[in-house]
Amino acid sequence: MALLDVSGFSRYSELRGQILPAGRTHPVDRTNHYSFGTKTPEFALPLGVDPSAFLKSCNQEAGVSIDLNHGTTTLAFKFQHGVIVAVDSRASAGRYLASNDVNKVIEINPYLLGTMSGSAADCQYWERLLAKECRLYRLRNKNRISVAAASKLLSNMMLGYRGMGLSMGSMICGWDKEGPGLYYVDDNGTRLSASMFSTGCGNMYAYGIIDSGYREDMTVEEAYELGRRGITHATHRDAYSGGVVNMYHMREDGWIKVCKEDVSELIHRYRKGMF
Amino acid sequence: MALQDICDFQDIFLDRGTSSLPFGKKTGFNYMRGLPFSNSTSLFNFYIPVAEYLDKSPLEFGQISPIQSASTPLSQDVTLPSLSLPENPLLSSPQPVSLPFPISHGTTTLAFIFQGGVLAAADTRSSCAGYVEGPAAQKILPIHSHMVSTTSGTSADCALWKRILSRELRLYQLRHGRRLSTSGAAKLLSHMLHPFKGTELCVAAIMCGWDGGEVHGHLDDTGGTKTDPGGCTETTKEIDKSVDPSLEKTQSSFSSVGGQQPLAREKRNGSGPCMFYVCSDGTRLQGNLFSVGSGSPYAISVLDQGVKWELTLDEATSIAREAVYRATHRDAYSGNHVDIYHISSKGWIRRSREDLKEEYYREKERRERGMRQIVTLSEENMKQTKMA
Repeated sequence: MALLDVSGFSRYSELRGQILPAGRTHPVDRTNHYSFGTKTPEFALPLGVDPSAFLKSCNQEAGVSIDLNHGTTTLAFKFQHGVIVAVDSRASAGRYLASNDVNKVIEINPYLLGTMSGSAADCQYWERLLAKECRLYRLRNKNRISVAAASKLLSNMMLGYRGMGLSMGSMICGWDKEGPGLYYVDDNGTRLSASMFSTGCGNMYAYGIIDSGYREDMTVEEAYELGRRGITHATHRDAYSGGVVNMYHMREDGWIKVCKEDVSELIHRYRKGMF
Repeated sequence: MALQDICDFQDIFLDRGTSSLPFGKKTGFNYMRGLPFSNSTSLFNFYIPVAEYLDKSPLEFGQISPIQSASTPLSQDVTLPSLSLPENPLLSSPQPVSLPFPISHGTTTLAFIFQGGVLAAADTRSSCAGYVEGPAAQKILPIHSHMVSTTSGTSADCALWKRILSRELRLYQLRHGRRLSTSGAAKLLSHMLHPFKGTELCVAAIMCGWDGGEVHGHLDDTGGTKTDPGGCTETTKEIDKSVDPSLEKTQSSFSSVGGQQPLAREKRNGSGPCMFYVCSDGTRLQGNLFSVGSGSPYAISVLDQGVKWELTLDEATSIAREAVYRATHRDAYSGNHVDIYHISSKGWIRRSREDLKEEYYREKERRERGMRQIVTLSEENMKQTKMA
């Protein structure tokens, strides 16, 4: 420590105290989307409010019934040439169709994609936040963030608000140094890695199709067809999915958007025999 | 019991005063007289358990005991049935009888119509709240020679109602000299289940049958040219030439596809394959493709993808097997084996039960072969790049 004193080296902690105003221990650009200057990391919630209890009371038949809508079908699978991501495009509010042309895939960066299912507001907000964090990581570390790390960031955000009524089921897909990556992240904080996922209320129908057609050694065209079929058949049977199939292909050099096809046309093509 | 009714034999144990023959003489059944439950219990002689026998029961059923306290033990007293009850027992205890354990309804059953008749398939796992209670249950129950019913829901309820339905259909056949159509059978089942609407009875059945023809097996009265159910055994027939037996009565020879497709599915003169979905909540729907049970969403998308009218029997069987396999792969309450029944103009045929484990291993093998190819390909690539 003698050398330290002699060379006039000041420790980072001392420096920090000079940079930041007294009392604040978090630098501004850290993972601190808890703005408003509160000390403990929280959303600005009024005291005494319990979001999850409030939501529960809304779901029972006690007066107002606010049903959160989770209508969608999204699927993604890894194969030898990368990751295929396919989603539908319907947004429903109860029985009313709010839109048939929603983009449920968020393009985080040219090497990362996130899908959205569950509450649209939650998905859009948190995934944009994730995009911001990924960008900051890139700027700080001069390297792109890995898929595992990105999905972990998202899952930690979810864990921070666990039990407060968030509703989000998302798949983070990308290509990093380890190769193609696919993670499923949930509003409970679940984070799973596998080679095939499908989320949303139409997911069971999609699973039937992609399970039966999936092979590790598919060609690219076969994989596109499988993704299209999975979403199409799910939209055929599930009332809350529909619109168009938005399909992306994550390759080593980034993702490409493969197609945006109307499911009504697709279903007629696939089910000629039964109509 | 059928014989007993036919020859008008009066059961000496039944109380004649209230004309309590299980089935009215004039009509086939007489369920809706008076109180909703009293008839059903009297018809089928449901013996209501006696209180003394249930004193030490560990299962607090909430049995309908108070009224029975004066009655004599079960075995001798066959006159006891509901007829002599002062009031309807079920009315006096308005809450449904609570179940001793949660009954779950996990299964995958499916059925579809194609040119060769009707194909029905089901898994064989019977579960009870998380336990696999029986790995070899029979979920497709034959009703008579040309009809089967796939069952889903509570297995006890399904088994009972299937037997009751078989009995009714046999009676109809004896009385009227012909089999009741699938539509009629479905209607009968639906009406029988109606009094239990709102209770915890749970039956969801797909009635699959081949209508038409006389009793005693003389099905085809058109000179028998098309008795073969279009590709049943001769699977080598090309698809375009598959004959549709349901049109045999109106057209002597019929072999074409394309424009004829919509017509091919209609039944002429009420003969041909037919399928109805009947549920204990009162639903009764006709259709060409159904799948019922907890594993049904997984199966139905596979069926949607592959089922066409022109399938051969082998193709149809493999699609059905694949659909059940996919459902068992994803649904915890379905599994073990798959039963496949094929109903044609000749009646139903049952394939031997196949273990889905084999299917799983075959698929695993296929995937491994695929993986090995990828690995060898990439090794070759590496070698090439090294050499270059």
